[in-house]
Amino acid sequence: MYASQLSNRYLTSRIIPFIAVAAVGLCVALVIIVVSVMSGFLEMVKVSGKSLTGDVVVSRPITGIPAYAELIREIEALPEAEAASPVVETFGLLRMPYGSGDGGKQVEMVEVWGIEPESLDRVLGYRSKLYWKKPAESELAGIAETDPRRDPFFDREAEGMALRAKDGTDGVVLGIEISPFNRRQRDGSYRTTDPRTGGQSAAYFMANTEDVLLTLVPVSDSGSLSGEKKRRFSIVNEVQSGLYAVDESRVFMPLAAAQEMLLLDPRPVMSRTEFDENGRPKELGTGPARATTIAVRAKPGVDPDTLRDAVERAYVRFYQRVTADPGQLVDPPFPDSVDISTWEQRLANFIGPVEKERELMRTLFSIVYVVCAGLVLAIFWSIVQEKTRDIGILRAVGASRSGVLWIFLRYGLLIGIVGSIVGALLAWAVVDNINAIHDLLGTPAPAWLQVLAWIGVAASLALAVMGMVRASALQAVVWVFITLGLAAVALVLLQHRGFLVWDPSVYYFSRIPSSLDMNTVVTTMIGGVVFSVIGASIPAARAADTDPVKSLRYE
Amino acid sequence: MPMLLEAEHVRKTYRLGRHDVPVLKGASMAVAEGEWVSIVGSSGSGKSTLLHLLGGLDRPDADSGPITFAGEDLRRFGAARQNRYRNHDIGFVFQFYHLLPELTVLENAMLPALVGVWLPQWLRRKHELRARATELLEVCGLGHRLGHRPSELSGGERQRVAIARALINRPRVLLADEPTGNLDIHTGGGILDLLAERHAAGLTMVMVTHDAAVAARAQRQVRIVDGCVA
Repeated sequence: MYASQLSNRYLTSRIIPFIAVAAVGLCVALVIIVVSVMSGFLEMVKVSGKSLTGDVVVSRPITGIPAYAELIREIEALPEAEAASPVVETFGLLRMPYGSGDGGKQVEMVEVWGIEPESLDRVLGYRSKLYWKKPAESELAGIAETDPRRDPFFDREAEGMALRAKDGTDGVVLGIEISPFNRRQRDGSYRTTDPRTGGQSAAYFMANTEDVLLTLVPVSDSGSLSGEKKRRFSIVNEVQSGLYAVDESRVFMPLAAAQEMLLLDPRPVMSRTEFDENGRPKELGTGPARATTIAVRAKPGVDPDTLRDAVERAYVRFYQRVTADPGQLVDPPFPDSVDISTWEQRLANFIGPVEKERELMRTLFSIVYVVCAGLVLAIFWSIVQEKTRDIGILRAVGASRSGVLWIFLRYGLLIGIVGSIVGALLAWAVVDNINAIHDLLGTPAPAWLQVLAWIGVAASLALAVMGMVRASALQAVVWVFITLGLAAVALVLLQHRGFLVWDPSVYYFSRIPSSLDMNTVVTTMIGGVVFSVIGASIPAARAADTDPVKSLRYE
Repeated sequence: MPMLLEAEHVRKTYRLGRHDVPVLKGASMAVAEGEWVSIVGSSGSGKSTLLHLLGGLDRPDADSGPITFAGEDLRRFGAARQNRYRNHDIGFVFQFYHLLPELTVLENAMLPALVGVWLPQWLRRKHELRARATELLEVCGLGHRLGHRPSELSGGERQRVAIARALINRPRVLLADEPTGNLDIHTGGGILDLLAERHAAGLTMVMVTHDAAVAARAQRQVRIVDGCVA
C-alpha cells in the first residue's frame, strides 16, 4: 500500500516526473504523428489507385478482347460485380495548342484511354474526377471566391461526360497536369495562366476553346507497327485524379475513336485460304470490336480477390461459349487466356515501395523508444540518487527490497501510462488539426502575434535583470534562456512570410492525411509504457540494493 | 528479569576502500523487557553501529557472536523475517528525524503500518490505522498538525512525528539514535519527557547518546569504548 501511496505522491509533488512525462509524451506523440501521416498517405494512395483501375481489371493488351460487350454482360451478371466498363489503353503523342519555344507546338507523350464515360463512371467514378464542372453545394464552402469554377462559363461537365465538344466533334479530356499552364494552388485548385504573359487568364481556358492533335500507332498481333493515325480533338474538360503520375499523362478519348485509330473497331475478316478473282483474300464478314481492358467494380463488401476468382470463371465460360460458335468471325482469334488482376496486384509496384517506406519510418522512429527509455533512466537515476535517504527510511521501517523496487517500477509505469496518454492526446490534437497548423505555417504571422512575442521578450528580459540584481543565479539563467527562446520565436515571426511544408506538387494530395492510425496509437502507447518501465528498472534495482545504514548515516 | 534484546561478543567491520575498519570488537550487552538503557561513548566508538545491529538494519560479521531478540537469533533471520522484525518488533527514532517530505504528518506516522498491507486490508483497516496514528500524534502534541508537511514543522515537532511513527505498530523495543542531538536543550527535554512517558507505559528503550545529561534519564548506561562495552 505504501508503494502506491509513495509513487502517486512522487508523481504529483515534484517537477522531475513532469519532465519525464513530457519526454515520454513527446516521444509517443512523435511516433504516432509520423506513422499516422504515413499510413494516411498510403491509404490515400491506395484509395486513389483503386479508383483509377477498378477493383479487378481484365486485360489483353495490343490485340484486345473481341466481343467484349458479351464478356461485360457475363461479368455484370455475377453476384460479386457491380459494374464493368470497356477501355482501350495505349500510348500516344499529343501535340498541345501552345508552343514549345521554337515556334512549333509542344508534343507530350501520353497514356490514352478510350472510354465509355457513363459506364466508366459507374466503375471508377469518372464524373467526380472531371475538374471543370459546377461545384456541388457541399464543396462550395471549401472553394475560394476567386475560383473560376464558380463561374458557369467553366462548367464543362456535360462535354466531359459525352467526350464531345459543343460543335459535335469528338473531344478529349486531359489530365490536369498535362498542361503546364494549369497552376496548382495551395488549396488543391488550379488557376490557368496565359502562356504568352504568364499571368492568370480565364481567356486561356483550354477546355472547349483549344484543339490538340493526337497521334496513335496501331500494333498488329505479330507486334509490327502500322502507319500512325492522327486526329484532331477538342479539349472538352480536364480530370484531377489526385495522383500526379496519372494527372500528368492520362488522356481520355471516346472508345469508338480509340478503337478506330488502333484498328480495334469492327473490321472485315479476310479468308486466309480463299481469294477473289483479283487474287485478294476473300472477305468473310465483319469481326467484332475489341477492348484492351475491362475495368470491373465489386459490389459493396465483396473482396477484390473474390471478385477476381469469379471473373476468371466468367471468362472461362465466355471463352468456351464464343469459341464453340462456328459462326464467330474473329481474327486474331479469341485469346484463351487474359490477365485478370486486382487493383492491388496492378499497383503493387507503386504501393509496395510506399508501404516499405512507411515500415522504414516506423522502424527508424521506433529508435525514439530507446531515447524514451534513456530519458526515463536518466531522470530516475537522479530521483533515486535524491531519494536515497527515503529508501533508507523505508527499509528501516520494514519495507522489503522488492517493495522498494516496486515503488520505482510503479513510478516508471505511471509515468509511462500518463506520458503515453498525454502523447496520444497530443498526437490526436496535432493530426486532427494538421491541415490548420499547416495553413498557419503557410501564412505570415499576424502583427498582434509579433507584438505579443516582443512583449514577452521584454518581460522575460526584465525578469532576468531582476534575477541579476537580486543575485539569484538560477532566476537570471532561467530567464536569460527564456528571453533568448522568445527572441528567436519573435525573429522567426518577424521574418516569416509563410512556407510550404506539404507541397502538393510533390505529394499530390491537396490535404495532409489527418486520421489517427489506431493500431499505431495502441502499439506506440504500449511501447511508451514498456520502455518507461525498462528505463525505470535499472534505477529501481539500484534503489532496492541501497544499504539503509549508509543512506541514513549522514544528513 | 528476562532479557528481551541481547548482544554477545558482537563484531562488525566496515570496509573503507581497501582497508578493513573494525568498529565493534566483541561488544556485549543485554536489555531486559521494560528497561531503558542508554548507550554512551565518544564519537566513532561504535554506539550507532551497535544500535543498527540490534535493530536488524545491518548484519554483524560472520565470526560475530549472536544478537537475540526474545530468544531468536537475528543472524538466522531470512529477509522476510528481518523486514517483519524491523516493522513490528522494533521502532526506530533517528537524530535527523528522517521523515518523508512528500507525505503529511499523519501519513508519515502511518507509514510502518502500511508496509506489507495490501489494498483490501487497507480498505478494511484504514479507519482503525488513521485513528491510532491520530491518537499517537495527539499524545505527541501534534493533533493540530496532521495535514502538514514535515517542512512546515519545527525540529522538535518533526522528532515527535518520528516517535509517533516508531510507535504505530506497537513495537516491543524503541531504538533511538541521538533523539535530541539536533535539538536545543528545551525542545530535547520535551522529547525525553515524551520518551519517558512511553517507557513508563512499559516500552523497552535503547537510546544512543553522547550527552551525559540525556543518558542520565535512562535507568542504566552502557559505555562503548573502542568497540567494546566498558
